[in-house]
Amino acid sequence: MSAATQATGAAPDRPPTNAERTEALEALLIERGFVTAADVDGIVERFRSDLGPMVGARMVAKAWLDPAYKQRLLDDPDSVLAELDVGTSQTEHLVVVENTPEVHNVVVCTLCSCYPWAVLGLPPAWYKDPAYRSRIVREPRAVLVEMGLDLDEGTEIRVWDSSAEVRYLVLPMPPDDDDQIGGLDVDELAELVSRDAMIGVARAGTR
Amino acid sequence: MAHATTEPAAELVLDLAGPGAPPRRNGELAFDEPWQGRLFGLTMALCQRGLIDFERFRQHLITEIAHWEAENPDGAGYTYWDRWQAALEQLLDQSGRLDAPTLTARASALSTRPPGHDHGHDHEH
Amino acid sequence: MAVSIVATGVARTNVDQFRHAIERIPPIEYLAAGYYGRWIRAAGDLLDGSGALDGAELPPPPPAGSLRAVDRPPRFSTGDRVRARDMHTDGHTRLPGYCRGREGVVVMVHPSFVFPDTNSRRAGEQPQHVYAVRFEASTLWGEEAESDVAVHVDLFEDYLEAA
Repeated sequence: MSAATQATGAAPDRPPTNAERTEALEALLIERGFVTAADVDGIVERFRSDLGPMVGARMVAKAWLDPAYKQRLLDDPDSVLAELDVGTSQTEHLVVVENTPEVHNVVVCTLCSCYPWAVLGLPPAWYKDPAYRSRIVREPRAVLVEMGLDLDEGTEIRVWDSSAEVRYLVLPMPPDDDDQIGGLDVDELAELVSRDAMIGVARAGTR
Repeated sequence: MAHATTEPAAELVLDLAGPGAPPRRNGELAFDEPWQGRLFGLTMALCQRGLIDFERFRQHLITEIAHWEAENPDGAGYTYWDRWQAALEQLLDQSGRLDAPTLTARASALSTRPPGHDHGHDHEH
Repeated sequence: MAVSIVATGVARTNVDQFRHAIERIPPIEYLAAGYYGRWIRAAGDLLDGSGALDGAELPPPPPAGSLRAVDRPPRFSTGDRVRARDMHTDGHTRLPGYCRGREGVVVMVHPSFVFPDTNSRRAGEQPQHVYAVRFEASTLWGEEAESDVAVHVDLFEDYLEAA
């Protein structure tokens, strides 16, 4: 940076950056009383930390590590959600369905695309598409293969159509590889749990 | 049981796919730099307070993206949030909330700040 | 039109190709088919009556807070065999067409909620229990059904009768 710009008030030798334009925008809008900094802070914080699949992913990771927590998650997920105070909920009743070597669960809303926002954040575009919604109830095994999930022959597939106000979350199996996951803590394990695994179209550990 | 809902405007914008869609990773909004998150929050706050109409903003955004693509056929250098910023500034200017010269002047003033002015400031909003 | 392009394409594509197909839909058509119909004009207007939504309903938004307590106990219990009524209503309903008239087994008794059929017609909330009913794929789809598949549908009590 030249000596000229070291001094305050010197003419800029470059156009403003986007960051500077945004800062200017915010400052002016606040000065004019259109918004407050708190308005903006609140929204940014909510979208960065509250609205995403990390809530669900942490629940899954804790369930993998703690059998008692896992049982509570299966028996009474609403109480677990209430403790988290997620606050973005339209989820009035959550059901958690567990994947096992014998049973694989996958979720859909054939009527419209209801989705557990509070624990999974934003629904992916394909989840809302009529093709997914109509085909997953009719030929789930084929659709899952197309989406990259090949289940062992003989694995029972349970499709859950959230046609009412109940929302479903799939508890995927932990990745097979003990070398990969042994010794990881909740946060590290949560990173292995994708939104797609909690809908039921992917395994955990694959992102 | 929490009954609070997300802001309708936010639900709507985040529901976009196609040319108007914000970048996402694994279901979360993707901000590569803090100013982008700030810009997003600012837009939503303006909608919440009724200062801008979200549908109008979205049309500006789609138009802005289309214009950029027409002028940059190879698509190199595309940044979604740059287009968002341009669309928001245009809408604010057109609706009389904040004229472009005032904004440019303020942004320029900020760009004359000496380097290191914000080292004590936490960029992670 | 746009949606049927996707629908025929998806049979032979993977999810990324499928997403790409969606992203190629011109924005105004995609916006018209967008889920949050309460801010977007009825899909029919913008899709020029093409029928592209293939009969999929865009229901009105769920009311904020539909959980309700009811005094009477649930009519059905887990393990009960039930049949989804073959009902056709003019109004809003959350009984998916593919299970109408079919028999299944109750696997979960959910809490009770506002009943959307009557509530949407302003004929009262009529809160009632919802049940997760398991239908074997063969019951729903006959010979075309994949093996070892069951579809669970959440059905309001008024949609069910004992089988």
